[in-house]
Amino acid sequence: MRRLIFTFVTIIISFILQTTVFRYIDFGGIVPNLMVIVTSSFAFMRGDKNGIWVGVFCGLLVDVFFGTYLGFYALIYMYLGYLIGKFNKIFYPENILLPLLLIVASDFLFGFICYVLLFMFRNKYDLGYYMMNVIIPEVVYTSLVAIFLYPLLVRMNTFLEDIEQRSAKKFV
Amino acid sequence: MSPVIKRGGERFTIPSKYLLFILTILCTGLIIVTFKTNVFNGSVNSVAGTFVIPVQKGITTVSTYFKTVAENLASIKALQKENEELKKKIEDLTTENTNLEQDKYELTQLRELYNLDAQYLDYKKIGARIIAKDAGNWYHSFVIDKGTDEGVAIDMNVIAGGGLVGRITDVGPDWALVQTIIADNSSVSGTVLSASENLIATGDLEMYNEGQIAFSKLVDDADKVSVGDKVVTSNISDKYLPGILIGYISTIEEDSNNLTKSGRITPVVDFEYMNEVLVIMQLKKTGE
Repeated sequence: MRRLIFTFVTIIISFILQTTVFRYIDFGGIVPNLMVIVTSSFAFMRGDKNGIWVGVFCGLLVDVFFGTYLGFYALIYMYLGYLIGKFNKIFYPENILLPLLLIVASDFLFGFICYVLLFMFRNKYDLGYYMMNVIIPEVVYTSLVAIFLYPLLVRMNTFLEDIEQRSAKKFV
Repeated sequence: MSPVIKRGGERFTIPSKYLLFILTILCTGLIIVTFKTNVFNGSVNSVAGTFVIPVQKGITTVSTYFKTVAENLASIKALQKENEELKKKIEDLTTENTNLEQDKYELTQLRELYNLDAQYLDYKKIGARIIAKDAGNWYHSFVIDKGTDEGVAIDMNVIAGGGLVGRITDVGPDWALVQTIIADNSSVSGTVLSASENLIATGDLEMYNEGQIAFSKLVDDADKVSVGDKVVTSNISDKYLPGILIGYISTIEEDSNNLTKSGRITPVVDFEYMNEVLVIMQLKKTGE
């Protein structure tokens, strides 16, 4: 229950940050994708099932506010969460390089899927332009933010795990 | 503990593969449902609105404040320098001003003839503050802090700085989503004032960085349209009220079919630095 509230609050806070504060400190109109960071981090730390739920929730939040069709982003984020969750077996709290790589990869994948579904299907084939002006800058900015955000999420996760272990011991 | 209770205490779990499968079907279903109908609009929007909108409002106010403070500090030195230069300029300007006073007479007379402004002064408008912008980097839409409680409805037009910003595509009790005309998925039917020819203005992500939007399907056999001409929303648009200024034509090219022309429009609204907008509280009557 505690974990559920924690996850819920984290997602809401990052969504709000992404749509408000980061809009003020954007680089050339590009905003980091906190939703991808949160989805990938939770999936990586907690496994694929957690990734799916976090992804769906993140996606639905974006859908409700900015999406044209409910469920579109939810679907993309969900699959991201599921894929990244498969790497949970090699999760160590101390390691930061691998999760950063995963976040970069997932944001790149996210950008690419968005391009294909939203732009290529409308006969906009100039992939190079969108790559250089939207996808790559977003990936760079996102990874920069992830360097600070991911350790924070890991620390909170270990903190929660400690509490859970302590309360589990009480019942033994 | 008895074994019965123990068995009941075991948690029911489904493998992630099946969970993924079930949720995929659920999401696809949602996409199809929202594509065909708008049953979720009311309920989902109000739930989301109560959780997120108040916080977004607060944070935007705070961050706007901090941004202005930071900008103020940075600009003090520049301002002192500017002050001296400006004092010199004042002298030059006073002389120029007398000349302009005379021109002003002429201008007011011409304005009365043109009478464009008066057209949308008549509409009832309410001011709204932008509290959040699109979460992604692909489209350009934003959320304002007025909703159905103030009488805002879907498809109402939004203007700022005397030009068209976009229209409302989604609305909740105290918020509304505005799709801008520079968004890649938006098109507006416009008219070139000087030639009264219609065109379609479309937002384009590739031109967005240059602050321009594309136009196409302009029929102009007599070559009456030229660079710098005013483009306003047309009478035949079914979402936009007629006569709202969109921008000025910046380039024109002949299409390969030799029938129509396309090119670019520079919008009058500065979309990058926009904090407040006006919502026109009148919907276009389409006769449906």
